[in-house]
Amino acid sequence: MNVITRRDFMRGAASAALAAAVGFPAAVEAQNVKKSRVVLIRDANVLDARGRVDTKTLGVMLDTAVAKLLGKSDAASAWKSLVSPKDFVGIKTNVWERLRTPPELEEIISNRLLVKVGVPKNKVFCDDRGSREKFEASTALINVRPARAHHWSGMGGCIKNYIILSANPSSYHPDACASLATVWQLPIVKGKTRLNILVLLTPQFYGRGAHSFDPRYVWQYKGLAVSLDPVAVDAVGAHLLRTKRIQYFGEDKPITPTTHIAVADHKYGLGVSDLNRIELIKLGWAKDVLI
Amino acid sequence: MRGESVYVKSSISRSAMLVFVLLPILAGVCKAEVVPMDTLIPKYVNGWRSDHHDATYDRKTLYDYIDGGAEVYLAYGFRQVFARRFVRNSKPSITADLFDMGSSADAYGIFSFEREGDDVGVGQASEYAAGFLRFWKGDFFVSILADEETPDSRKAVMALGQTIASRIKSEGERPAIVSLLPAEDLIRTSIRYFHEKSGLDYHYFIADKNILGLGKHTEVVLAEYKIGSSKSRLLLVRYPKAAEALAAFSDFKAAYMPEAGEDAVVRTENGKWAAARLRRNLVIAAFDAPTEEAAKTLLRRVADRTEVSEK
Repeated sequence: MNVITRRDFMRGAASAALAAAVGFPAAVEAQNVKKSRVVLIRDANVLDARGRVDTKTLGVMLDTAVAKLLGKSDAASAWKSLVSPKDFVGIKTNVWERLRTPPELEEIISNRLLVKVGVPKNKVFCDDRGSREKFEASTALINVRPARAHHWSGMGGCIKNYIILSANPSSYHPDACASLATVWQLPIVKGKTRLNILVLLTPQFYGRGAHSFDPRYVWQYKGLAVSLDPVAVDAVGAHLLRTKRIQYFGEDKPITPTTHIAVADHKYGLGVSDLNRIELIKLGWAKDVLI
Repeated sequence: MRGESVYVKSSISRSAMLVFVLLPILAGVCKAEVVPMDTLIPKYVNGWRSDHHDATYDRKTLYDYIDGGAEVYLAYGFRQVFARRFVRNSKPSITADLFDMGSSADAYGIFSFEREGDDVGVGQASEYAAGFLRFWKGDFFVSILADEETPDSRKAVMALGQTIASRIKSEGERPAIVSLLPAEDLIRTSIRYFHEKSGLDYHYFIADKNILGLGKHTEVVLAEYKIGSSKSRLLLVRYPKAAEALAAFSDFKAAYMPEAGEDAVVRTENGKWAAARLRRNLVIAAFDAPTEEAAKTLLRRVADRTEVSEK
């Protein structure tokens, strides 16, 4: 039996991504391999004390991050390089009631597609639970959702956000959702994703209870992370949540290992999960950035 | 799925239950405990009232209700959950979830799985923090969550919990395996009782493969011990048959401590000690002990308690 044990992580003999997944410090791995870019942007003014979103600030954050991600000088050319006016675009949001994608952000994305790219209004759909039907004819997807600790997969992020596009979402749950990346091979998804946006305005770094939510474990980080690589942006998100747990509790509290992120890289080749193979560009507000 | 669900005391088949219930009724006496779950939760509490959208979810539909946490319940003997939401003008809403876990052992288990705090005196064991009360009693695990903690919502959550606990008439037994944990140095809030590998991965990852052969058939208890300044872990796994325990012990030794001799003690790469022992249908393992002696002592204390429990 070829087994990876806790002791392998202690001696740094397992992959950095798997080590991170089970809560061990990442080991250094070879540098001469593909890198993915993630842009993390924060602004202290994007939320007020009650958590209300300043739409204008959020729009500037998104435009700035997308332009930086794509190496464009302005937002319009960046958005145009992602999506064509001929595309049928599905914005895959997440409406989990306790921590949903802010409607303001959904509006901003729609606006960019309609105004900056010129996609007709009848070809832009934003949905979550009805997305499987509405996105069937889509040619492009924008993947946007908040980062939160998730009881069974370790973290709900961009990889997991597409699970509802499958016919049987619960079939992906065994083994800590290790096979989640296969959702990305479904015809409704494969090759269509143009942008992944991990919402870090108020991430949830730990979860408890029947609904895996406890307001003590949500904080105003006031950030967005964007990437073309869903695995890389989730790896950065998982790293942030873990760092926050250690800061808050004084140690890393147990959560389900985020194995699916490493598996998405090493088994399914969906993207890059090792932090030292991710080019993380940090913009904006630096206070308590943690990573 | 909406409407009333009926909790039927377990261990009897449905048809047998029907006979069992009908005969006493025909005789004018109802001795069987058949309790509609919705009657265990009041409709009003401290000014909050039910929003009249009660719902019941079973093993097939639990995913519809709990996004991300359903598997935790399904890894136990979960049967169904009855959910009632309470509302009050301009006050945070409160959600009460009553889980029928199929046995008192698993009601205790799901409570233990996330336990962090000290008891607050509701049901057989409970904890409260930030608008969130959880407790177990009999075959039930109860979760009551206020959307926001205020002085009023806190009082309502606690009152709701006390009422539900008083309406659950039967108490249940903690799993016997928990009593094998030595009391000395034990961090009581760290005790976890579960069955499957997923539970172990959550609390203390040992290996990617199921080297201990965990499954619905196994009883697992994991606990932390404060020994000096370090935190050690003690794991007990009970198998239905001694032969299964022997096979699991052999697999565990081969995978986790291949260099260990007959005594199954090793110093691990973090400078701590791990040790394991087989005792009939029980596998006992200690991790992260500060010294070899500390690891062996933990195992010996469990073995001593098994002697006592067998006498």
